[in-house]
Amino acid sequence: MGIAAALLDDGLPAGRRGWLGRIDARAKVLGLLFILVIATLVTTLVPLALCVGAAWALALFGGIDIRRVALALLAVPAFTLALAVPASFNVVTEGAPLVVLCHLGGGHWGPWRVPEFLTVTDRGLFVASRFALRSAACVSLASVLAAATRPQDLFKGLRGLGVPAAFVMVAAMMTRYLDLLVRCAEEIHLAKLSRSLGGVSVRREQAWAAASMGELYRRSRTLADSVAEAMVSRGYTGEVHTLRQGRWSWRDGAFVAGCLAFGAGLLALG
Amino acid sequence: MDKVFDFRGVSFAYPGREPSLRDATFDVGEGERLAVLGANGSGKSTLLHLMDGLYFAQSGEVRAFGQRLTPEAVERPPFGPLFRKRAGFLFQNSDAQLFCPSVEEELAFGPLQMGWKEEEILRRVGDTLGLLGIAHLRDRPPHGLSSGEKKKVALASLLILSPVVLLLDEPTAGLDPRSQGMLLELLDDLHGRGGLTLVTATHDLELLPHIADRVLVLGEDHRIAADLPTERALGDTDLLLSVNLIHAHRHRHGAMVHSHPHQHTRTHDHAHGEGKDHLH
Ligand SMILES: Nc1ncnc2c1ncn2[C@@H]1O[C@H](COP(=O)(O)OP(=O)(O)O)[C@@H](O)[C@H]1O
Ligand SMILES: [Mg+2]
Repeated sequence: MGIAAALLDDGLPAGRRGWLGRIDARAKVLGLLFILVIATLVTTLVPLALCVGAAWALALFGGIDIRRVALALLAVPAFTLALAVPASFNVVTEGAPLVVLCHLGGGHWGPWRVPEFLTVTDRGLFVASRFALRSAACVSLASVLAAATRPQDLFKGLRGLGVPAAFVMVAAMMTRYLDLLVRCAEEIHLAKLSRSLGGVSVRREQAWAAASMGELYRRSRTLADSVAEAMVSRGYTGEVHTLRQGRWSWRDGAFVAGCLAFGAGLLALG
Repeated sequence: MDKVFDFRGVSFAYPGREPSLRDATFDVGEGERLAVLGANGSGKSTLLHLMDGLYFAQSGEVRAFGQRLTPEAVERPPFGPLFRKRAGFLFQNSDAQLFCPSVEEELAFGPLQMGWKEEEILRRVGDTLGLLGIAHLRDRPPHGLSSGEKKKVALASLLILSPVVLLLDEPTAGLDPRSQGMLLELLDDLHGRGGLTLVTATHDLELLPHIADRVLVLGEDHRIAADLPTERALGDTDLLLSVNLIHAHRHRHGAMVHSHPHQHTRTHDHAHGEGKDHLH
């Protein structure tokens, strides 16, 4: 299975994703998305930390594959450190110094005034931790949603929430064919590897990269044309009609209500 | 009675290219099993696209079920939707054909576009999957399936509409022998049971007797080189040589060099002068 497919879908049936997996996709999208929006609105650390905690509690007790959530979370430090660490210094965020790191000597550097010392400020530390926590909260919530919902149900859920069918169709096709394109690119790469065992000059390497991008583009165009033809052949005339959705159970309602109450609580905390 | 298809002097060229099909005249009757046989690039897929109202003749005339196929005709009710229901096209590339997020939605796609009732659709999805023995795939996303399973799902997505004619573009290409066998059996079954009309594009001579009673041979000049019963097509070495489906094969047995038509998909016996028989 290709890289993209592995990220998008682990192939588990809905029944093997714990009780969270059996909640209606619409309820999960609605509830978790609501908390996710709240996480981008709150401005203090406590509700953000609660958010992360809630996502992990859901992952742990929802009976879903915790490794997928953990894996997604691994990506957070790499990205946030690069952005958040500089924000904690006094050169970026003004504030009361907490730790003095080194002597900079003051004066001016171009249009900027250089401070006497490089310090970690209280305000900077707060901004940095808020950024890191917010990223962790969003990534955890999104990956809980992804791990607890099969992609095909996720798209169905979006449609059930009133997202236009054509829009969902495009999104579904993008994930559907992303895997195919990755495999296509892998094939082109392998075909090249098998033909060039010796060293290759940089110039030839560049020429090859350009050529294979062209080939990938050509292949994806051909595929897109065929998909459109296959749709027309089965009666598509410009408007997509899709299956209706199943009924909500009391559990789906309770899940959404719980999410709404939790989100409102977070907002109240600030 | 109307012919299923009637082609009169049909030519077609892709934009800015030489014609991919020249002056094709033939017809297909109800319940026939026709093969479109030709080397790669001879225009088989192009011909099937013309039959399915996806491309349109630039000169000449294509009729299906008595109605001339034009861009307007295949969209306008009542003929348009009826034609789409009656003609099913199995694409060579299953990945192009399976574009929905799950197998169930894949099967439901055609009926939904045609405005069938939802309960009816769900019932038919179950029936059709059962018929092909793939009920267990119902909730699976198509991209994770094996190529044999993909072909079956693609076929199911056509059969759910109860088509009158199936257009099959190299249906067994890329399938393992077992899936090939199952597919051929299934097509045979469908033809025998419902009088389904089958049009199969292929360059595989071995496949021919299993899928067709009549063969339309396309030459490399994109013209119809012959239209004849399957046994006669298979027996006509000169014809098959001229359209590049078999090639002359020269080789040496001891001191003697000889040449004979040869097709690489099958082993065959032959004898020559000194009585030394051997096998290729
Ligand atoms: N989308 C296209 N654009 C331009 N030329 C094409 C396209 N598809 C096929 N052709 C050309 O048309 C000819 C017939 O192709 P095709 O019908 O696919 O042959 P076959 O299916 O017998 O292999 C070939 O020369 C091919 O290069
Ligand atoms: Mg072809």
